[in-house]
Amino acid sequence: MISRVAESCYWLNRYVERVETLARLLSVNLTFQLDADLPEVERWWPLVIVHGEQEVYRQNGGGDPTDDGAAVQNYLVWNEKSTSSMLSSLRMARENARTIRETISLEMWEVLNDLWVWMIDPTSLQSFERDPHSFYIHVRNACLLFHGAANATMLHEDPFEFMRLGTAIERAGQTARILDVKYHSIGPTDPRIETPVETAQWIATLRFCSAAEPFFKREDNFLAGREIAAFLLFEPAFPRSVLHNLQRAKNFLNLVRPPLSANGPGSPVGERTDRLLTTLLDRIESLDVDTVLEQGLHEVLTWIVAATAEIGEAVSRDFFHPDAGELRASSS
Amino acid sequence: MSDDDRAPLFEHYRPLPRTFDEFFAADGSPRPEAEQLVALLNQLGPSEYATRQRIADSTFLRSGITFSVYSDQRGSERIFPFDLIPRVVPGNEWQRVSRGLEQRIRALNAFLTDVYSEQRILAEKVIPSELVLEAKGYLPKLRGIRPPGGVYVHIAGIDLIRGPDGRFLVLEDNARTPSGVSYVLENRMVMKKVLPRIFAESHVSGVEQYPIRLRKALASVGPAPDDEDGTVVLTPGPYNSAYFEHSFLARKMGVPLVEGSDLFVDDERVYAKTTLGRRRVDVIYRRLDDPFLDPDTFNPDSVLGVRGLVQAYAKGNVALANAIGNGVADDKAIYPFVPDMIKFYLSEEPLLDQVETYVCARESDLSYVLEHIDQLVIKAVNEAGGYGMLIGPQATRAQCEEFRRRILAQPRNYIAQPRIELSTCPTWVDGQIGPRRVDLRPYLVTGRDTWVLPGGLTRVALVEGSYVVNSSQGGGSKDTWVIEGDQHG
Repeated sequence: MISRVAESCYWLNRYVERVETLARLLSVNLTFQLDADLPEVERWWPLVIVHGEQEVYRQNGGGDPTDDGAAVQNYLVWNEKSTSSMLSSLRMARENARTIRETISLEMWEVLNDLWVWMIDPTSLQSFERDPHSFYIHVRNACLLFHGAANATMLHEDPFEFMRLGTAIERAGQTARILDVKYHSIGPTDPRIETPVETAQWIATLRFCSAAEPFFKREDNFLAGREIAAFLLFEPAFPRSVLHNLQRAKNFLNLVRPPLSANGPGSPVGERTDRLLTTLLDRIESLDVDTVLEQGLHEVLTWIVAATAEIGEAVSRDFFHPDAGELRASSS
Repeated sequence: MSDDDRAPLFEHYRPLPRTFDEFFAADGSPRPEAEQLVALLNQLGPSEYATRQRIADSTFLRSGITFSVYSDQRGSERIFPFDLIPRVVPGNEWQRVSRGLEQRIRALNAFLTDVYSEQRILAEKVIPSELVLEAKGYLPKLRGIRPPGGVYVHIAGIDLIRGPDGRFLVLEDNARTPSGVSYVLENRMVMKKVLPRIFAESHVSGVEQYPIRLRKALASVGPAPDDEDGTVVLTPGPYNSAYFEHSFLARKMGVPLVEGSDLFVDDERVYAKTTLGRRRVDVIYRRLDDPFLDPDTFNPDSVLGVRGLVQAYAKGNVALANAIGNGVADDKAIYPFVPDMIKFYLSEEPLLDQVETYVCARESDLSYVLEHIDQLVIKAVNEAGGYGMLIGPQATRAQCEEFRRRILAQPRNYIAQPRIELSTCPTWVDGQIGPRRVDLRPYLVTGRDTWVLPGGLTRVALVEGSYVVNSSQGGGSKDTWVIEGDQHG
């Protein structure tokens, strides 16, 4: 497939994932901050940090983050200057979809375009102000529908695999960053001796990742930070765990790489990405949760996020923007 | 429901004087081909009609058949206005028109073949040499290069109008990259959804085969004839106003949509950059104008094109649709000579009439035009979209003076035509049905032979009294129904 189109497929799903993640984070936080008696600055500000917006928040016109949450929600949903806001991510998702309208299915396009048309209509702003939960659920459902439509209506071949690769890489990074929320809100505590506030934070962390119910299906999981961190990092069957997504990314990568025989010796397409992904997977699989906590959760999550970003760059070099020499050496 | 809701839709409709109305004769009775449609729409009544029109509009919005308004921060989306009342053409009338269109395309193709090789038509002084050789669209670099398959105008849009006597006349030829066919297909799709019963009862010729016809025609002229694997659609990119159409055609044909940066030329062959390396491309349906195609040959600053593409084309390694250099064939100053081309190349009489045209490059025409500027429509030869145009009878004295100066400065750049009272079609505007002027753009696809899409894009000037149908200037569109069989006429 055309490299530029593959890139749009990949980014389309990354942006859809960002929209969905934001909808879930904000919706969960609405109820969570009622349960936990947190200092004001720890109620909404951590969500700004998760999205890497702490430096530009004021500059982009974000309001007082210690108020009842309206300012942060307004910022993360509607801010036009922030590239991480829901509106900006949705715009980018739709722009990518529009650019590759010939590649995605009609149903996928309609789901996304409907969401966009709804979002820019003034009635969605009223819904946001009157009943934010319903607003977030509407957005989340549209994103889930998008994935369902993709699965059920699109050809399961390279464009689809690049989309799923985008989702996997985005989710691995998002889950790692969300886990880090705990660190950002109350600092590096020892999760084995926890206060009720910390416990509430961990439950919220599960819910941020749609993981509350899946977590309790693992019978040996009792509600403690150590188990929750283990679940979100290592549970192979959970669709948002870091390990699950990196393994999936490797599968999708194998599907979009040419069969080895099609390439001469030298640099088979996707080799860079494969090497980095394999290294990261080996490293994560060699860890257990106690080692992670010893090394420091924040430190481990930081290198996971960095390594995931590096894999994203490798995907781009390998598949989207190969240099001229590599193109010439490749098969016709 | 008030009485008004049940009133026949056309109850208050009155055609304009001295104007051909597509639905009603001068005495107010419906034309035979529109009679059944008028009855069915009358039964619907105004309030139900308005509901269906709203559904149609929201269908366009939902499907994303829109253009973006970039001045708006939120990036809001607008639809091109679509009027639900179709334009109707009886089948036998259409047969005649489409034979005339096909004849015209044969002549234009022969003309392009000739001016880029022997130039017999110039040697025999059928068309003044300087008019051709000085045309902006004539590209001397292309002389001696024969396009693969010998086809120049693969996709043509020939604009037709109907004068007061109801005859179809050719208004202009579009032999480069005529757009709008996606609206024909989408309009039809929406019509079927919104007025299913009326559509089913009307025996309308299908338009849905356009993409497959186009794909076959494109493949038939490639360097490896009928191999459909190496066909792509080339677009300037998502910010082009016709991007929806480029994407639509790629999707409906099932071929990749590429931008210039997705292609490269190596050893005079064209390749696409794919995730598995390079892949050969041999037919390009390009929606990129000549000057941007190849920075090596044309505009060196173009970032939209593909370096080396023209060389690959010259070697016969890639087919371009439409061919390079077609601008000379749809130049408005060449248009008056198309009937002469038909006689010269085909030894046939033109089947379709066209609008009388004054070529300002000719001394005698020029003085006539300058004297009668307030009665004529003046057009710049290289402009489109309703720009660079003066409608004398509606213009101020100052506007006429301005055009007089422009014409005198560059007579070659202008032509003039009498203003034709374009035919009208009943159109829903602001809750009422009124007569609005229309034209018709049929589409022709040429590979080994020529196929004419039944119908075409009917464009309508939504502003009362307006003669300008272009979407950029307040125009909308309608579905065009060619009624199958001869039962109406």
